[in-house]
Amino acid sequence: MFFEECRALPLVSLTLALPVGAALDPPGKDGLTRVTARMLRRGCRGMTSAEVEARIDALGAEVSVDVSQSSVSINFDVIERSLDDLVDLLVRMLAEPTFDERELGRLLRESEGELIEARDNDRSLAVRHFRRAFFEGHPYGRRTAGQLATLRTISRDDVVAHFPRMLARHGAHVAIAGSVSEARARALADRLVEALPDGGGPAPAIVAPSPRPGRRLVFVDKPERTQTQIIIGARGVHPREPSFWPLVLGTTVFGGTFTSRLMREVRSKRGWSYGASARVGYDRQPDALTVWTFPAAKDAAACIALELGLLDTWRDKGVTARELAFVRRYLVRSHAFEIDTAHKRVGLPLEVALLDLPPTHHSAFVEHVRGVTLESVQAAVAAHAPHRDLLIAVVGTHADIGSAVRDAIPNLADASVVPFDSE
Amino acid sequence: MTSPTKRREGGRAALAAALSEGQAPGARVEHVGRVAFGPAMTIEHYRLGNGLTVLVSVDASAPVLSYHTWFAVGSRHEKPGKTGLAHLFEHLMFNETENLPAGTFDRKLEEAGAESNAATWLDWTFYHANVPRESLGLVVRLEAERMARLVLRDPQVSSEKEVVANERRYRVDDDVEGAVSELLYKTAFTEHAYGWPTIGWMADIEGFTTDDCAAFYRTYYAPNNATLVVVGDVKERDLLAKIQKAYGAVQPGALPVEDVHPEPPQTSERLVTVTKTTVTDKLAIGYQGPAFGDVDHVPLSLLSEILFGGRSSRVHRALVQEAELATEVRGWVSTYRDAGLYEMHAVARPGHTSAELLEALDREIERVVAAPVDEAELAKVKARFELALVQGLETASGKAEQMGFFFTVLGDPSGAFARLEACRRVTVSDLLRVARRWLRPRSRSVVVVHPEPAQVAS
Repeated sequence: MFFEECRALPLVSLTLALPVGAALDPPGKDGLTRVTARMLRRGCRGMTSAEVEARIDALGAEVSVDVSQSSVSINFDVIERSLDDLVDLLVRMLAEPTFDERELGRLLRESEGELIEARDNDRSLAVRHFRRAFFEGHPYGRRTAGQLATLRTISRDDVVAHFPRMLARHGAHVAIAGSVSEARARALADRLVEALPDGGGPAPAIVAPSPRPGRRLVFVDKPERTQTQIIIGARGVHPREPSFWPLVLGTTVFGGTFTSRLMREVRSKRGWSYGASARVGYDRQPDALTVWTFPAAKDAAACIALELGLLDTWRDKGVTARELAFVRRYLVRSHAFEIDTAHKRVGLPLEVALLDLPPTHHSAFVEHVRGVTLESVQAAVAAHAPHRDLLIAVVGTHADIGSAVRDAIPNLADASVVPFDSE
Repeated sequence: MTSPTKRREGGRAALAAALSEGQAPGARVEHVGRVAFGPAMTIEHYRLGNGLTVLVSVDASAPVLSYHTWFAVGSRHEKPGKTGLAHLFEHLMFNETENLPAGTFDRKLEEAGAESNAATWLDWTFYHANVPRESLGLVVRLEAERMARLVLRDPQVSSEKEVVANERRYRVDDDVEGAVSELLYKTAFTEHAYGWPTIGWMADIEGFTTDDCAAFYRTYYAPNNATLVVVGDVKERDLLAKIQKAYGAVQPGALPVEDVHPEPPQTSERLVTVTKTTVTDKLAIGYQGPAFGDVDHVPLSLLSEILFGGRSSRVHRALVQEAELATEVRGWVSTYRDAGLYEMHAVARPGHTSAELLEALDREIERVVAAPVDEAELAKVKARFELALVQGLETASGKAEQMGFFFTVLGDPSGAFARLEACRRVTVSDLLRVARRWLRPRSRSVVVVHPEPAQVAS
């Protein structure tokens, strides 16, 4: 259990998390983990779905379920006076879910509607198609929400069989923060964990992704776009690798602040995009280093050419000592806002546990950042800056800008056009 | 306006007097009073001689502070043909000043580890910086500098217009939800400035000149039109001394009389139907609603929670879970200084239509107009109301935002807690009364969106 007491507000945050995520979805059943997790609030012994929802609201509580590739987290915020009653309800939901067939049908149809509605969001289209192509054949390329075809194969038997694989006692973590004593929190955490099915253990292994080589383009074709969404990405680095912290600092120089190189060139000088950023993602395995912009359609090709040029300069010349000193100060000083609430503070060791990160990943953040040298940044950037092997995902109207975008990418090995409503 | 809980406090008055000794009139400081902010916190209310309001709440729970500057200017203060100026100007405030070359403002804040941003809406504009406590002096100097000594040049204005045009494409032109919201307000407001979008019409954004921006700055960015809110690990005397030094010489402005055009009562339903690049039908409804300070605002907000708040709400149950007509439903009573809208939105599932959504929604509305809600339903939404308030107060920034917003819109920095008290007093009868007063079909505007025929989802 991860715990921190904070009496400033009559609020308690509680997270029950397991190191088992959508990567565990059986072949052809994409979305099963998320569906199973969502079914927890759709009825338990003696209570219908409507009664569970009404009870949560009546207690002054809020419940959310987050499913990533590597973990499932069930999060609760509750007014302190209702904490015991909420835990009583949770124990019942975890120990005696009914997985009612009719509720499952409703949830699956609701999920299908959400998948279709998500086609309206260009940003999420770009992310989805980037991941689908970049992590092709790897669990990280799957959609945690599933696809229309896979959702239609999920049965009650699937959910019942999946539940103990997903929410098993061993491997469960509980994080509690807020207006509660440690002894009371520990007792509540024990009750929650004991409510889970026996079993579980170490997190299932996920192999490291190995993206396809070469420069590739995925153009997501959507009508009448006045603007594009562009993601350029390459293989990232995991916190276990020595180049992780140097690459984080190098990427912060490139696109991690409002005054970064990318922001200055794309937004401040040219006004091409409202936002422009770069980040190093990670999960239990390396994720991707991505660069995001969203210029007007008329500027999309020029913006991609500019970004590729900036990436080449970054890779070839690295960063300056002055830039490094700047982002080091920025990261060290802004760390205060990563730990300014009890809720955030208990979330950091929880992430370490769920993603199998080095134990000091968050607790020694400042030391990690201060320990990065200019030489290590240059080496990390030279090795990992998106260059020869990269993927570019663009959401736009292909008839208007497709050929210009393709022409803006030198040495393109592969280009595909995907209709925006293909999944 | 003085809230009922406000009182003067001798120690602070003496502190203000001591700090004012030998100061120029604009830099003298007066302690206006102390206001309780919930059961555990207080706000000290000061005012400088030049009219600048300062609200301070010491909170040493983390070694950080949140520094907000709220200006009582928003898109409601614009003119037709110049819409979006308040928002464009917010962008320009991050540029050059007399003592800081372009880019330096952000760079200095980032080097200090700050999180900073800004927002503009119908009634207000605010800037905020969350900084480690060691950087108090820096943030005071920087914010005072841009309040008084901003430099506006053609290249920066041109570039920022491009950025804002791109922001508009992102939030409105290529986003069906943003486009529907814009259309709803344009339909519902025929006279009041709430009818045009805060981001501005594209033609207006493209047409702004540097002179437009300079005139806006001179008119509205004055200390007597601003409120500083500082929450966090600060020492009050040190903070006030720094504020006096940085802002004391800034001259107050002659604020113009606002050319307000109140919205006349709506006497018949307005219906607009459009086609958009979208995959399913959408529905947006705007009933003429109360101002944020209206006595009906809290009960109508609670009624909205009964209808739309969470999965146990009536509309969610009826439209999403039972009839399976909708993917998403939501409702919100606008929080504007003048009378606004009670907005309702619904997204149809594939194969269902806006007409079905409207019919089903009307059935639920008719129910709350015809008969009282259950006591248990009211108790439930009161609990949700309380939770939402508490969740918003976890960080120094969250507290500062509540104080600044309520002071700027209602004149009461602890208005969030006054609303909580008002919420506790609401009865089932109140809900029936506000339902019958505000949910009248003749005073609503309806926007119906159909997908382009080629894009209908199956």
